[in-house]
Amino acid sequence: MSTADHDLWNRTSPYAILFFLVKIIRILMKNAVQSLAPLFALLVAYQGDLVSKLILGGILLATIIVFGAVLSWLFFRYQIRDDSILIRSGVIKKKQLDIKFSRIQGINTEQNLIYRALGLVTVAFDTAGSSGSEGNLPAVTRSFADALREKISGDDLTTIEDEETLAPTQKLLLKLDWRDMIRIALSDRRALILFAFIAPLMEQLGDRVEEVVESAIQSETLAISQLNVGTGALIIAAIIALIILILMLFSIGAAFLRFHDFEVTLDGRTLRSRGGLLTTHEHSMDLQKIQTLRLQQGIVQVWLKRFTLTARQAISGRKQRSGKVFTIPVVTAEFADKLHPILLAPEAGRLTQNPRSERFQKISPYYMRGRILFLGLVPASLAAALMYGESGPPGLLALLWFPLMSLFAWRSWKRAGYMHDDDEIVCRSGLLGYRTVALLFRKVQRVTITQSRYQRRKNLASLRLFMASGSVRVPYIGHANARLLRDYILYRVESSQQVWH
Amino acid sequence: MFQNPEIALADLPGTEDVTWQTLDAAYKRLRQLQNLILVVIIAVPVGILTTINPVPIIPRLVLWAVGIIVAALLFLWPGIALPKRGYVVRDKDILFRKGVVWQSVTAIPFNRIQHVEISSTPFDRKFNLAQLQLFTAGGSSGDLKIDGLNSAVAEQLRLFVLEKAGATVEHR
Repeated sequence: MSTADHDLWNRTSPYAILFFLVKIIRILMKNAVQSLAPLFALLVAYQGDLVSKLILGGILLATIIVFGAVLSWLFFRYQIRDDSILIRSGVIKKKQLDIKFSRIQGINTEQNLIYRALGLVTVAFDTAGSSGSEGNLPAVTRSFADALREKISGDDLTTIEDEETLAPTQKLLLKLDWRDMIRIALSDRRALILFAFIAPLMEQLGDRVEEVVESAIQSETLAISQLNVGTGALIIAAIIALIILILMLFSIGAAFLRFHDFEVTLDGRTLRSRGGLLTTHEHSMDLQKIQTLRLQQGIVQVWLKRFTLTARQAISGRKQRSGKVFTIPVVTAEFADKLHPILLAPEAGRLTQNPRSERFQKISPYYMRGRILFLGLVPASLAAALMYGESGPPGLLALLWFPLMSLFAWRSWKRAGYMHDDDEIVCRSGLLGYRTVALLFRKVQRVTITQSRYQRRKNLASLRLFMASGSVRVPYIGHANARLLRDYILYRVESSQQVWH
Repeated sequence: MFQNPEIALADLPGTEDVTWQTLDAAYKRLRQLQNLILVVIIAVPVGILTTINPVPIIPRLVLWAVGIIVAALLFLWPGIALPKRGYVVRDKDILFRKGVVWQSVTAIPFNRIQHVEISSTPFDRKFNLAQLQLFTAGGSSGDLKIDGLNSAVAEQLRLFVLEKAGATVEHR
């Protein structure tokens, strides 16, 4: 490296060591077994009691992590050029990343509590294309991040929309309040998973409580016979209620941590969200890069009458990353319909994404036949036959699988549907909850029509629209209808003069 | 001058009256040969093992019967499946159909194609064949694979598709 070259390379603020600390700890945790094995071996070999071993191990680990973080910071350099940003990193394995501004799809920033006090942010570049090349710029000032964003998106704006650059308008679309936090917490699936983990522990906890209660009662010289079944049930119910309450509180806490003061703004043609209690997360997505708009409603959300809205942009070939998804965790159907034309380009929005709309067209009921037959009847009778041979008449209970699957088939048929106009299509599906996906015809990548033997006999077909963000299926519609839709979509795509990304 | 004539739905070009191009005839022979090699690779060790080890005559006969049926099916399958495959190159897109039980027709507009790839295995080259793969955004592997093309045709198609894909200059 020549000295002239050297001058161009910048180092970030020393506070970036914090970022590398977290990163190293994350990597260590991910590969916990491999990375901690040598340390563990060392500790086993070391003479001494458990406490001093643990202390020594902790000190060793902490030293390694801190040392690694400082080294990572020392070796981290970046350079901003006219059309790209270069990042050099790596202590042992050197890596140089060259991110072209034109390839950057979005710039996300993150700010933890310490960084917030110092006015620093970590910038993450969201790029399309090869995975594993996502870049981070830790611990830069907010004004630097803003300037960088300006530079990168400004690059885009001046060439695309001249009018827009003249009057950049920042419009607040949505702000979540504390009630929404509780809604997010209630519909959080992770709480349920946590509950499943804790359930086995509860039994042990119950035993422990019983012991404690028993000894307490004994010490107060009360007759054990007084502790009747009712009291026992009451205690267990109380424990369960307490655990659910604690889980709820955790869930609410998590919702506040992630989404406190969550707001969505429209900045010219860029959608931006910001929120979080200790660490502020900021995400942005270019409106024209949105491929599909998905309105989802889980089973709890059905009861809460709320939805989750996600906008997806093109995924890179090898792996899907959550960074390509813009999420609004809680919206009403009415508000989603208000956002719909804004997010999905001005030509869309005459349709609704509300799954309860009457405008959805049904798909053919023949859709149910295959499911009832091959997911219901066949496995149920096979299982019943096997289990009857094993354990006699109780084995026939397996036949219950058949009505259950039939019910599921009926439900998913009932909830499947689609509606379209000249520019976009909205597809609905669901079993317990609902999901509607909206997309613009002109952004379709390819179209496939598939027919099984049975569908051919009934003159039906399934249409699959492949987007850059995944595919959407319209199953069991009339063959002629599917072909007409396909031909129309092809016409729209082929005559489109606009970019799809 | 910008023109935007209204298009009646009935006037949209359909796929009813297109002529499907079939794959190279040599491809059927290649697939049959490949399947035959597969059968031999499996049948020879099984045959040797069942003769060395004392296997009762009835299971052995059943095994051979099943083996012969599978081999016959494998041999006949290319003759059934391959005629169902075909492609059409139109002015603005390419269509590909396939399937015996589940039949599908895929359409890729040229202005969505990201890149094109030709590949050929040593077997393919012996038979002067090649595989054409078309890639669009968001897909993982090749989004459209047309195998069993004559290598000259494949090269011709590649150039044509590239030219079409490149010619569709997109205006923002």
